[in-house]
Amino acid sequence: MISAVRHLKMEELLALRDGEGSAFARSHADSCHVCRAELDRLYQVRAELRALPRYTPPRELWPKVADEVRQRRLRRRLSYRMIVLAAAAVLAGVAILRGPAREESGPTDVWLIEETSRDLGPVIARSQELEGLLRAFRPEYRVYDAPTALAVSALEDRIVLLDRMLLEGRAIGLEREVLVGLWGERVEALETLVGLQATERPERVWR
Amino acid sequence: MKSEALVLANAEVARARAGDLEALETVYRAFEAPVYNIGRRICGNEEDAEDVLQETFLEVCRSIARYRGDGSLWGWVRQVAVSKALMLLRRERKRSTRSLFGDGTTSDGILPGTPEPAPPVDLEAAISRLSPVARAVLWLHDVEGYTHEEIGSMMGKTASFSKSQLSRAHRRLREWLQ
Repeated sequence: MISAVRHLKMEELLALRDGEGSAFARSHADSCHVCRAELDRLYQVRAELRALPRYTPPRELWPKVADEVRQRRLRRRLSYRMIVLAAAAVLAGVAILRGPAREESGPTDVWLIEETSRDLGPVIARSQELEGLLRAFRPEYRVYDAPTALAVSALEDRIVLLDRMLLEGRAIGLEREVLVGLWGERVEALETLVGLQATERPERVWR
Repeated sequence: MKSEALVLANAEVARARAGDLEALETVYRAFEAPVYNIGRRICGNEEDAEDVLQETFLEVCRSIARYRGDGSLWGWVRQVAVSKALMLLRRERKRSTRSLFGDGTTSDGILPGTPEPAPPVDLEAAISRLSPVARAVLWLHDVEGYTHEEIGSMMGKTASFSKSQLSRAHRRLREWLQ
């Protein structure tokens, strides 16, 4: 309980100003001219803060932003194109290995060869399983709050980068353990992404 | 921030969401000043404010497809801007040996290394002398209208941390503005 002689602390005054103070604090402020004056001063400071002149950008930045956006789009397109080209190359290789005119329909995944190996098989299978889960969430129709959008973007970028490293790694004959490690990182990123989709609140409304 | 200047036509937003660069420029033009202002007020200098502006719009251009439109676009953009500004403060923390987001480690709300001002100073000068965190909390709470819970969450701290920083900031302002 606040006595008549103890003045309100700054936190109590701020709570009162913001409409969250206790009944005791309100009662004290009503009867104490020192605290009343301090409360009025806090209202005044807030009003002055809100009335401060607004800064405006000193120079034009849009061309720089637009250039960077174009470059990022190009990099992303190239990255996808590399994946498609590599997929085509792998499929062509598989077709040659299998020989002509086989009747049965096999899997057509980019990672067909690794998929059946003992070290890479499980992690690739997990990766495909997570991608299936992600597709089920239909991320292209989902809405995120800004911090989640930042996290999703970072994870997507990470996955694109890992895909690129995997493709290049295969092309230069990277050691199996390194490839397994990269696939493991890809699975981790996908798991986090799936986690974000599962916990994200689509009903959130922005002020 | 006044919302009337920050309203865009739905068709324009739809085009921006589809990745149209001209529409994205319209979004940029509508929000560049308030975003820059947030960066300037939170980070306290022109250079960082420009970084906030640039990083914010790179993120907006990349993520706007995920904005559905059931709240104000400004609210969404502002959240990105605040996140970027606070990220910059954290980066600054890593460069510095002092803990910016640590509890009470910045001389009770004063910018480290700043000499005590000879009062009275005006409000603009006074807030520039606050520590970055105290200044950020003051601005986010008293001007932008974020709650202590929201501020604590954005800073990876608690609502109490935000309340305590706000109190420190106001105690300092009272000293300097008397």
